[in-house]
Amino acid sequence: MTVLIAAVSGSMGALARYFVSGVVQRVGRSPMPIGTAAVNLSGALFLGLIAGAGVDLTRFWVATVGFLAGFTTFSTWMIETVRLGVLPKPSRVALLNLIVMPVSGVAFAALGYYLAS
Amino acid sequence: MPDHHLPRSAFARRRRHRWAPPLAVLAGGLFGSGVRAAFTFSFPVASASFPWTTLVVNLAGSLFLGLYLARSQSSVLARWSLQFWAIGALGSFTTFSTFSFEVFSMVDTGTWTMAASYVLASTVGGLAAAVLGQRAGRLKR
Repeated sequence: MTVLIAAVSGSMGALARYFVSGVVQRVGRSPMPIGTAAVNLSGALFLGLIAGAGVDLTRFWVATVGFLAGFTTFSTWMIETVRLGVLPKPSRVALLNLIVMPVSGVAFAALGYYLAS
Repeated sequence: MPDHHLPRSAFARRRRHRWAPPLAVLAGGLFGSGVRAAFTFSFPVASASFPWTTLVVNLAGSLFLGLYLARSQSSVLARWSLQFWAIGALGSFTTFSTFSFEVFSMVDTGTWTMAASYVLASTVGGLAAAVLGQRAGRLKR
């Protein structure tokens, strides 16, 4: 049952990611993958918020975490970084994407956590 | 000249299948999230220890995405396949929010060595996995 809740909420998250990252990328018109950055960083913020609010390990918690796990993506971030150029020598934008994302992801998670707690 | 005398354009064809891409993403997301949930619930990690299940999921997802994209072709059917596998399944199989929060927890509890090694293993490992997948996908069929 828990797996089913996580799977269904994760698929909703994937759908939301498809629309949000598409819109942000189209509107922003940046050579950087800002659509993926937008979903990943907002997802980290929301996870920080609900964790800071101290929700128990209930079905609501499973659904929310499942949604955010599906909403955010690690694999797309990696492939986009590879496409910005990593071999033979990493490009400046690829390094930027590789370093800025985890640092700001942790910052957003921390922000959400302290805002909610 | 009235519209209906025009040949059926690619645009019209696309409009007819407007529901297909989101549906493919949804179906792929159900599959990817289900597999990830089944995996992470099967191997629970204690809250203060190294989150290796997230690491495994993220590295494996990056490897498969590199492999898939190197193998995929461009046709209408391939577009739906891309939306199912790349955006839906592998996109939601891996997670950035959990990764970020785990690193935050390590920083918050002062386990800096674990935080640094986790970030390094994820980023460098993820890149290596994606490139490896790409290379494997480009090998002759």
